[in-house]
Amino acid sequence: MGPTDTVRLKFYLTSIKKVFSFFFFLGKRARKTKAFYLLSFLPVLISFVIKFALIFSEHRDIQGIYIFTNIIMAFYLQFLILVLALFFGTSVCSEELEGKNLTYLVTRPIPKISIILGKYAAYTLLTIFMTVVGVVISFVILNLSDLLNFSLYKILLKDIAVLSLGLMCYMAFFTFFGTFLKKSIMFGLIFSFGWENIIQYFPGSTQKFAIAHYLKSLLPAPATGRFAFLIFRLEPTSPAMSVFMLFLITGVFLALACLLFSYKEYILED
Amino acid sequence: MNPIIQTDKLSKWYGNVLGLSDVSLKIEAGITGLLGPNGAGKSTFMKLMTGQLKPNIGEVLIQGERVRNNYTLFSRIGYCPEYDVFYDELTGWQFITGMLKLYHFSSPYVEKKARKALEIVELMQDKDRVIRSYSRGMRQRLKFAQAIAHEPEILLLDEPLNGLDPLGRRKLIQLIKTYRDEGKLIIVSSHVLPEIEVLTNKIVLIHQGKIFAQGDIHYIRDLIENHPHMISIICSNRRKLALKFIKEEYVLKVEFGKVKNRVTIETNDRDKFFSSLPSVLRENDIEVEEITSPDDNLQAVFDYIIGK
Repeated sequence: MGPTDTVRLKFYLTSIKKVFSFFFFLGKRARKTKAFYLLSFLPVLISFVIKFALIFSEHRDIQGIYIFTNIIMAFYLQFLILVLALFFGTSVCSEELEGKNLTYLVTRPIPKISIILGKYAAYTLLTIFMTVVGVVISFVILNLSDLLNFSLYKILLKDIAVLSLGLMCYMAFFTFFGTFLKKSIMFGLIFSFGWENIIQYFPGSTQKFAIAHYLKSLLPAPATGRFAFLIFRLEPTSPAMSVFMLFLITGVFLALACLLFSYKEYILED
Repeated sequence: MNPIIQTDKLSKWYGNVLGLSDVSLKIEAGITGLLGPNGAGKSTFMKLMTGQLKPNIGEVLIQGERVRNNYTLFSRIGYCPEYDVFYDELTGWQFITGMLKLYHFSSPYVEKKARKALEIVELMQDKDRVIRSYSRGMRQRLKFAQAIAHEPEILLLDEPLNGLDPLGRRKLIQLIKTYRDEGKLIIVSSHVLPEIEVLTNKIVLIHQGKIFAQGDIHYIRDLIENHPHMISIICSNRRKLALKFIKEEYVLKVEFGKVKNRVTIETNDRDKFFSSLPSVLRENDIEVEEITSPDDNLQAVFDYIIGK
């Protein structure tokens, strides 16, 4: 890498950082973010209700970590991170188009790819933050009597890492579709609650075409019980391979999004 | 003088709809007015000049460089879009500083430049209000502020006077003229002719995606030499004056309006009319109070050219 390349790389990274700062700041104030914060606190409410119900039920011996793992599997992995990634990922490009603010961004001296990467990074961090807050509070509520058991924190950290990886990957996927399609939300809904929810239960290598497969391969399988169906026919990929695949998918879709955004002509409708 | 902006056979279609056709222009420093009715292709031209759209044919060169995907060029260009859109959750200050940060200025510079731009458009007092609460005029001024904040050499202003009150309009016009005096290139688009008229004589008339005429207003006048001109005269004896001119070949129409003592004469040879007028007035002892040419403005030029 020559000195010119180093300067150029530095310029690109600085541009990404500038865009990131702007959209992270903006994202925190957005009405959409506030609405999704409420949604991400739904498992906290569920955890609270369950904990309260357990106090008065005969199943007092059920461990908090067991319920927590099931909430991660059933609510976060199958629903929340998909919804967050769908709405924030597609909006990386589409909200600029619909709001016609794209005109301000593309007439600044920054490379177009920095707009995509900076905004993607800002929204990914924002959604990770939204998710983590809910996860941690749910964890505390469900494991109130067991908070000194430090082995549980290992599970918590692993869950947070997997959910973050999931958000990173889904966000990249939906960012690409947001730059590509006009009706990206519709497509995203079909993908999230159609493809992802069906393909992952197919036997053999077909299930490897779902992002959820790699995420589930990284999580500890819940013991038999009400939510065991969520790992029905899961033929897990090794953790290292799963992480590699998630990074690969992220990289590929982000590269495609950047390429498309740089060369596609976006016509802002009157 | 070298042209700063140059377009060569620039054409743009939106599917089957023509946006702009065969536009070749050389634009130098100073104010150039881009004039045309709504949907004429002004904004398409502006978007092509800022690289937001890709031309189907031809290209745009700014200071000899191609525009599209040439992001480095934008440190020299200030663009004020036609859309009344913002990141509404932000305050005016946050918006301007946020945009300025994308120019890679250091923080003290960003603040200095933002302050200067907001002071120019007189929004410093309202800088901490969210944009959502701004009036239309304030939003328009903020849009202008983001275009000038980084002190560009080239200003592309798409309908910048829209939504401004008369005072705000006058101030902005004055401001644009100041930038002209600094030697900058400014292109102002508008569909309101008097707006352009007070800004510049150098105009480009655009209609249905095509350039109808370009040059100063007098040059455009020459282009339409054969078109009838109206001359309105308030005098002591309008009927006598009318009688003297009605027999002339170059007079096409004589009309008595509601205004007392006013006669309006339509001629296809203005020079001939004005050369004979003094002698007719003298010989018939007619006193003149006022002579005006109601169609000698940009609106009339524009109407003639587009064939109204």
